[in-house]
Amino acid sequence: MIKLKNIEKVYRTSTIETLALNEINLEVGKGEFLSIMGPSGCGKSTLLNIMGLLDEPSKGEITVDNETIRDFSDKKLAHFRNQKLGFIFQSYHLINDLPVLDNVELPLLYRSASANERTQLATEALQKVGLSNRVKHYPTQLSGGQKQRVAIARAIVGRPEIILADEPTGNLDSAMGNEIMDILINLNKNDGTTIVMVTHDENMAKKTNRLVRLFDGTQVM
Amino acid sequence: MFKHLFKLIWKKKKSSFLMMLEIFVSFLILFAVWTLSFYNYRNYSKPSGIDHENVWAVFINFNTDNDSLKTIYRDLVRQKLKTYAEIEAFAFTSSNMPYSFSSSNSSMKYNGRETHPEFMSVDPTYPDVLKMKLTEGRWFTEGDKVNKIKPIVITQKMKDDLFGNDNALGKIIGEKDDRKQVIGVLRHFKFENDFQAETACMLEPLNGWHTDMLVRVKPGTTVETEAKLSKAIVQLGKDWSVEIQHLDNMKANKNRIIWVPILILLIVCGFLIFNVALGLFGVLFQTISRRKQEIGVRRAIGATKSHILWHFVGETAVITTFGIILGLFFAIQFPLLNVFDLDAFTYVMGIVLAIISIYVLVIACALFPSKQASEIYPAVALHEE
Repeated sequence: MIKLKNIEKVYRTSTIETLALNEINLEVGKGEFLSIMGPSGCGKSTLLNIMGLLDEPSKGEITVDNETIRDFSDKKLAHFRNQKLGFIFQSYHLINDLPVLDNVELPLLYRSASANERTQLATEALQKVGLSNRVKHYPTQLSGGQKQRVAIARAIVGRPEIILADEPTGNLDSAMGNEIMDILINLNKNDGTTIVMVTHDENMAKKTNRLVRLFDGTQVM
Repeated sequence: MFKHLFKLIWKKKKSSFLMMLEIFVSFLILFAVWTLSFYNYRNYSKPSGIDHENVWAVFINFNTDNDSLKTIYRDLVRQKLKTYAEIEAFAFTSSNMPYSFSSSNSSMKYNGRETHPEFMSVDPTYPDVLKMKLTEGRWFTEGDKVNKIKPIVITQKMKDDLFGNDNALGKIIGEKDDRKQVIGVLRHFKFENDFQAETACMLEPLNGWHTDMLVRVKPGTTVETEAKLSKAIVQLGKDWSVEIQHLDNMKANKNRIIWVPILILLIVCGFLIFNVALGLFGVLFQTISRRKQEIGVRRAIGATKSHILWHFVGETAVITTFGIILGLFFAIQFPLLNVFDLDAFTYVMGIVLAIISIYVLVIACALFPSKQASEIYPAVALHEE
């Protein structure tokens, strides 16, 4: 599903050059639930951003769903992200000025979906994460766990084949974290969604199919 | 997408309100400026109905209050001017000649209709001096002077005011002892300045006491002739004095009275609008830097650079639309209540031009910050706290 070949990421400033990722070779199979672990600053999020086509590697090749990402235009990249990928972030990144339903509908705004279709799909996604009674609430009226469930609903509303989650339980207590993890596991098992999750939590990582460890930008396991 | 933008703006209505207010005030200012400019431009583009080139205004003081003497003196002057080959035509006129600072109004009524025309008293040769053309009827002659009912030539505006679509020729207006009969109609006659709207005006044969005159000279006539003419007139009588002015200079002076205040107003409004533009620019930059994470999320879930660009331009355009709608409510009252007696078309054009200007201004101000927003790298935006 996702294939990374000799990925290298270097951050350059006028005085310093930092190697964030070094020779990463990774393959994520269809329907797999992969977790990435490692200490802070080891390049986990950078790797996830590269997988999610939010960042470009300095070197190497990415293949997503049998399509090699090379010289894609901004439009094509955006379309690719919209159709194939769903994102979940540690700090949820919901738009506080929009109600829950509108937050969930957001990816569909960039598709040619009618208003009715958008509402129907967003309602279904919210039902899936158990938040159908909060559609008119604003993010500021929700708990952390609820916000993350809204973020998950937003990630799955477009029915992407891959979900990239960057420490989805990082801001939650263990009970809430487990709830979120259960939702992700269900999505993986029931819908066959491929999930790549960055986490600091060993317990959460153990619940996934496979664990990849990074250290100083290098894959160590 | 409009609904989406509307929801975002509605939630931020308090902060959007100030921007909307700014747009509203700018709209009203631009509406006033455009209406005034369009009104004057429209008048300026219409023909004046007279040819002021090579026409001199001659102001003679006969040094007498006796009207009978003035009539005799006028004939003396007429005889003298006829001897000059450089003079093509001349006419005595009341002091409210074109581009002068004099004015004489009277009220005229006809079948319940009323108008307040400028009232001019002129020689029959007046149209030859100013090359005026009638659209209907004829000009009065020396022979008409003896008529009990005075013949008058009126402007189209006066005809419209008093007679509407009816034929004006032959109609008699005025009181029993001072009745006047319309014998001719002038289509255009701008006698105050080039920015003058169509005005009601009537011209009748010269009466006793007027001593000002208009003289048309041949093209290329020099100042020597002017001096010679002035000297010749002065020598005709005892203690006479003469002042000669050129009609084109008089016109330039009268025009300046109109366009200088407009220019000052335009400059002041320009500064005001410039400040509004700077304000908008600043607000948009601040908004965008505050919403970097939102931009990152939008980019992550499928928004292209172009989506981001037009999203922010769109948000600004929606706020602008609300500001304009509020402004329209007030602007529309002007044609509805016929304020300042301007025609509705001028106000409508003022509104249309103000709307276009506001959108151009706002979109120009929104484009650069929005472009900056669209260039934000999603990975960076998502990790900024």
